[in-house]
Amino acid sequence: MSKKIVSRSALYYLLCITSLLFISKLAISVDNEIIYSGPGDNKDGYESRDYVTKSLSINERKGEKTNLIKYAEQSQLGLPKLKIPKNNPITEKKIALGKKLFFDRRISLNNTMSCAMCHIPEQGFTNNEIRTAVGIEGRSNLRNAPTIINSAYYKFLFHDAREYSLENQVWQPVLKHSEMGMPSFGFTVKKLELIPGYKNLFNDAFPGEGINVATFSKAIASYERSLISANSNFDKWYFGKNDKAVSAEVKKGFEVFIGKGNCVSCHSIDNDHALFFDNKLHNTGVGYADSMGLLIKNNKTVVQLAPGEYVEVDNNIIKSVNQQKKKNDLGLYDITENPDHRWMFKTPSLRNISLTSPYMHNGVFSSLDDVINFYNDGGVQNELLSPKIKKLNLSKAEKINLKLFLESLVGENINILIADALFQTVGDLTKDDPNWANDKDMGYNK
Amino acid sequence: MYLRNFGISILTAILLTISSFSYADETCMSPYMQKIVGQEDYVYVWTLGVEGLGDEQDKLVTIDVSPKSKTYGKVVSVLSVGGRNEAHHSGLSDDRHYLWAGGLDSNKIFIFDVATNPRKPSLSKVVIDFVEKTGGIVGPHTFYALPGRMMVSGLSNNKDNGGRTGLAEYNSKGEFIATHWLPTDGDLKGANKTGNFADGYGYDIRVQPRRNIMLTSSFTGWSNYMMDFGQMLQDGEAMKRFGNTMVLWDLHSRKPKKVFDVPGAPLEIRCAWGANNNYCFTTTALTSKIWLIYEDKSGEWQAKAVADIGDPSKVPLPVDISITSDDKGLWVDTFMDGKARLFDISDPHNPKQIFEEKIGSQVNMISQSWDGTRAYFSTSLLGSWDKTEDADEQWVKLYDWDQENLKLSHVWTVDFYKEKLGRAHQMRFGAYSLYSSKNSDEEKSVSMLDK
Repeated sequence: MSKKIVSRSALYYLLCITSLLFISKLAISVDNEIIYSGPGDNKDGYESRDYVTKSLSINERKGEKTNLIKYAEQSQLGLPKLKIPKNNPITEKKIALGKKLFFDRRISLNNTMSCAMCHIPEQGFTNNEIRTAVGIEGRSNLRNAPTIINSAYYKFLFHDAREYSLENQVWQPVLKHSEMGMPSFGFTVKKLELIPGYKNLFNDAFPGEGINVATFSKAIASYERSLISANSNFDKWYFGKNDKAVSAEVKKGFEVFIGKGNCVSCHSIDNDHALFFDNKLHNTGVGYADSMGLLIKNNKTVVQLAPGEYVEVDNNIIKSVNQQKKKNDLGLYDITENPDHRWMFKTPSLRNISLTSPYMHNGVFSSLDDVINFYNDGGVQNELLSPKIKKLNLSKAEKINLKLFLESLVGENINILIADALFQTVGDLTKDDPNWANDKDMGYNK
Repeated sequence: MYLRNFGISILTAILLTISSFSYADETCMSPYMQKIVGQEDYVYVWTLGVEGLGDEQDKLVTIDVSPKSKTYGKVVSVLSVGGRNEAHHSGLSDDRHYLWAGGLDSNKIFIFDVATNPRKPSLSKVVIDFVEKTGGIVGPHTFYALPGRMMVSGLSNNKDNGGRTGLAEYNSKGEFIATHWLPTDGDLKGANKTGNFADGYGYDIRVQPRRNIMLTSSFTGWSNYMMDFGQMLQDGEAMKRFGNTMVLWDLHSRKPKKVFDVPGAPLEIRCAWGANNNYCFTTTALTSKIWLIYEDKSGEWQAKAVADIGDPSKVPLPVDISITSDDKGLWVDTFMDGKARLFDISDPHNPKQIFEEKIGSQVNMISQSWDGTRAYFSTSLLGSWDKTEDADEQWVKLYDWDQENLKLSHVWTVDFYKEKLGRAHQMRFGAYSLYSSKNSDEEKSVSMLDK
């Protein structure tokens, strides 16, 4: 998928490479392949007064289209063959339609929210810039937006495991008051029928069915199902037996992962593949700490005002502008009402983990270092703490190596998936769309 | 010759008379625009709808502010526009016949006719395809009139909901003309990055036509300005996503020339009016400073911090500012402590605070009258940023200002919650004197009592 830069002078290339190499995660590599992964508005180093912006031009990042179906149909090193539901065979047309819907902001009550508003491609199909998702009209949501990549392998979906298939999962954010806020199934279908273009696309993707509740979710699920990414450096070493694919430090980090760190007890590895999750839910203490207010260390909060500039703000001042009182997040308990399920959350995959900060179900940790330190300290003690969570006593070197191992889990095709997503036009309101202000309403009282 | 001299004398007298006025709110607007001379008749308040209050939607509220009117200090017109669009700023067209008001969330632009009947504005047009036409700009913020044009600054984009954005240029009919992206490291567009930052963020627009310059400031993207304020302050990642730049543009070519480091979210821009006063001010919301952007003796434009506002360590959050017509005073509202402060800016390089008063539990916008003796204040900052419970007062207040004795005297309050209206944000003035030939006799008679 490499995109060749128009031929220019050697000096130009030298300047380009020199000036862009410092752009973490975003540099143009020496073979001129554009790296799309990583925030276009990079804030690495913002903690320091010496911070230098590395912002990229929005309109210059056009992406590049790819035929995604191969990722769903062909196995990648490190992942098992994907099971496609019999009632939703995957096709190129469904993927293309699902992708268009995924990026269409008109699929929300006020035409401002799309799936991609929280699952931002260049940010690992999550949102690196905020801890918990912001929905329609700024409504607060309790949880960090999980990545879509490899979500097709999950037995359960959502942090609390309340859904069991991508097809069923699709409708929840669309109809939820705090996410996309569409008023009903029927209204959504009707609106899609009135937006120019969708009728034909649905008829092509679902002959004889057209636009309905089922085809809408099948299309988006098909796109999500095609976002598969493995064949990482770790996979090339561990499953591909390429000894040079990773460094000695990564290998040592893997030893910590499966040994002293016992991370593998939840982030599972099988003989011929590694999902890095166990399809189970666990209490690590993060949810408990949040509910019990243990994350608030004192009556002040350190707030950053500018690069390298911080102040301590009294929590009463913060409370004075905290309009949306959040309920406590009790995880699986909210689904089962079983008191033993309090603060249990689904194990996430670790694939591409270095791209999907912030971490944990509530985004409380901004870096992998924070996560490793949390588990090294034994989580947060509570009566329901998973017995797998114990103090680890990792050395500094072991923690560094463990992090390097985690960073080796970035899928080989991640750049391709992101480039393909960037190529997709974002759906925004046009003069031809249904809207009262456009004299093209939904047909009421006519 | 006599007639010619007489004419010149009359002209001089008129100019002197005009120049003796304190332009106040009028000075905050485009120099290309008509000015109200005398008593303003109406204040148009772009108001946020609130769930559970009245019809719950955004609206343009018209308050009669003509002192001799029977409905003085009362709401005389309410025009609901559908939805909670995150109503924020508004701006008058160059002929002052139309008021453009934006929704930072919905991206709709509502263009109101305020000339046909200034007492009861009507909705002339709704621009619904702002994001599509501009190629992805989100959050139409400032509406700044240029001749035959409306320049609209964005706050965000439809790709990552962050702060990288651009300016959108429209003609007076509300037709899209061009997008001008803010310079980023990836594409500086020929601008000189003078410091460490070229974040590409946007917020306000002001110009000094005689210097052929345009200035823009920088705030934050959709994810932050729509987020619960208390939640955001505790989110370390979110707090990294504020603008730290101002951009100097070539006004005529619309090309960025310089990117200045102005850390801490520089918001409102106000430019001096004096013939030789080649400078503008801004205030940084997070770092609580007044910044001066000025042309130095060598003809180069520079930016520097010139004063603190309150105690920056307590984050008073300076929001709206207003410069006086003689370039000697700068009003600064601070949201968190609800205060209005007046700085003496006679020496623009050394502003000194000379007055402060608490207006309410929260205060955002300030609009002074033409003659500088009246100041209107309003409350709302953003739908998810306003204070809670008892501190969530929502009103427009009028104060008389005594410049000699440095005294603000409260005149009246319109309680926007009691009236079931919503949250009062930006205020713009209307007057029959601008369109006197178009009014009904009854309405004109109300107006003429003041003339």
